[in-house]
Order: sequence, then C-alpha cells, then structure tokens
Amino acid sequence: MSADFENQLQRQPLREIPRQWRAEILSAASGPGPSPFVLRLSSWLWPHPRAWAGLAAAWVVILLLHLTAPDEPRLARSSYSQTPQSIAIMRQQELIMAQLLSSMENDFSSPALPAAPKPRGERDLKQLVG
Amino acid sequence: MASAPDIQRLYDEHARALFPFLLNLLRNEADTHDVMQELFVKLARRPALLTGARDERGFLLRLAHNAAIDLMRRGGVREKYHDRLAREQTDLFAKSADPDEQLFREKLAEALGELPADQRAVLHLKLWEKLTFEAIAETLDIPLNTAASRYRYGIDKLRDRLRPLYDEIK
Repeated sequence: MSADFENQLQRQPLREIPRQWRAEILSAASGPGPSPFVLRLSSWLWPHPRAWAGLAAAWVVILLLHLTAPDEPRLARSSYSQTPQSIAIMRQQELIMAQLLSSMENDFSSPALPAAPKPRGERDLKQLVG
Repeated sequence: MASAPDIQRLYDEHARALFPFLLNLLRNEADTHDVMQELFVKLARRPALLTGARDERGFLLRLAHNAAIDLMRRGGVREKYHDRLAREQTDLFAKSADPDEQLFREKLAEALGELPADQRAVLHLKLWEKLTFEAIAETLDIPLNTAASRYRYGIDKLRDRLRPLYDEIK
C-alpha cells in the first residue's frame, strides 16, 4: 500500500504559478538596485547586521552624551578665578607660604647640630685598630 | 549584475518548482510572492551567488527554503498566524473536474498543512521534485537520516489521515 499511496500523491498535479507574477517579479529584479558602495557595505555588515547597528547606536549615544555634558573643570576654574574671595584666599596662602619659606631659611642658616654618634660597629673597629 | 535574459531564464526554468514549494511551506500566496520576488531580486543583484552551484535547481530551492524559514521565524505572532494559515485550505494543487479527485486534493492539501514545516519541506521535495534523500539533505542542510526520518513520519501521518478517502477512490 505504501508505494501505491506515494504514487497516488505524486500523481497529484501542483498548481501553476500565476501568469502575472512573471512580469512583476522580473520587473522588480531588473529595477535599479542600491549603489555599489551600499552593496559593498551591506556585504561587509551582512554577517551580523544587528550587532553592527547596536554598536553604531551605542556610539551615537556616547557622542550625544559627550556633546551635551557640561565641561565641569573649565567652569570650576573660571568661577574660582573670578571671585574676590578666592583672590583673598590665594593671597593669604601666598603669605603663609612666604613665612614658611623664610622660617626654613632661618633653620638652615643656624649652627649645625653636633655630629650624630657613629654606629657601634664602626666605633669598635676603630678601637680595635687604634 | 546578471544580464536580464539570465534572470528570465532562471525564472522560466525554475519558478514552476519554486512556487509550489514555497506555497506548501508558507501556506500563503502573498508571502510566496514576496519570497519569490526577494529571491529573484537577490539573484539579479548578486549573480555571483550562482557561481559554482553544481545543481542550479537544488541551489535555488535551498535559497527559497532559507528565505521561507527566515520569514516564518520573524516574530512569534507571525508564526502563530502562519500556524493558523497552515491549517486552512491552500490551493496547492490544480483543480480537477472529477469530484473525488478534487476532494482528495483538497484533503491532501489540508493534511499537508497539519504537518510541521520541516516534514512538509522533505515530503514536497521527495514527492513532487523527486529528489533523492541525499539531494534533500543537501538542499535543506540536514543530515541524511533526518531527511529520511522526516519523510517517513510525514508520509505515515498523511496515510493515516487520508486512508479512508484513499481506499474509497483507489
């Protein structure tokens, strides 16, 4: 029965393709396609188009964030340099620094401290040699 | 780009096979038209696709199968829509003047629609394209044993489904 049944199925004629499809499909196939550059690009991106699109979108987001974010260091510097308070603080710090420097100079110009005792090992050696 | 006559020749030689294969897989005439158009546009723009193809018909059936599977996989809603469509009647076979033959064809189309798409593809290629299991395995990119077992499962289901009608018209 199996072979008979399969033969019976094979004998059933399949429907013909609608005639008007030929003109439609061939005219679509002969229509102007994308430029060679687009074709090359699409063949390059083809293996993982979604991954490439996601990566491109991520870069666009990063670029937008970069362009819209405030430039904090420049703002901070400009506001700091323009206030009178900050100028006063700077002058105060300069004064303190100058005082510190002068006190350090005094310390260096004072008489030298007595020499530090030499290590015990070195003393013993001198005694033995002497 | 392939010259226009090449595309015409490809259409004239293979569209008659591609159409029922795609219609059997997709169970929808509009989708079949879209996939066929997409296929021939692709061939016109990338003629190198056919370079080195030993069996032109087999290669085109493979491209058509892949395009149909892509279409069926696009979105769960669409798949459900296709499942429903598959169970509905599709004019897959030519009309017959004999009422018994016509009824058998309608029931056969209906029974094919109840099979999974992968079994349907193997059955179609074996019964109506008369491909060997080796050629089917190559066309559908599946192992030989898988092609053979899908055919067996499919034909058994069709036989069970159509036995009363088949016995009647035999």
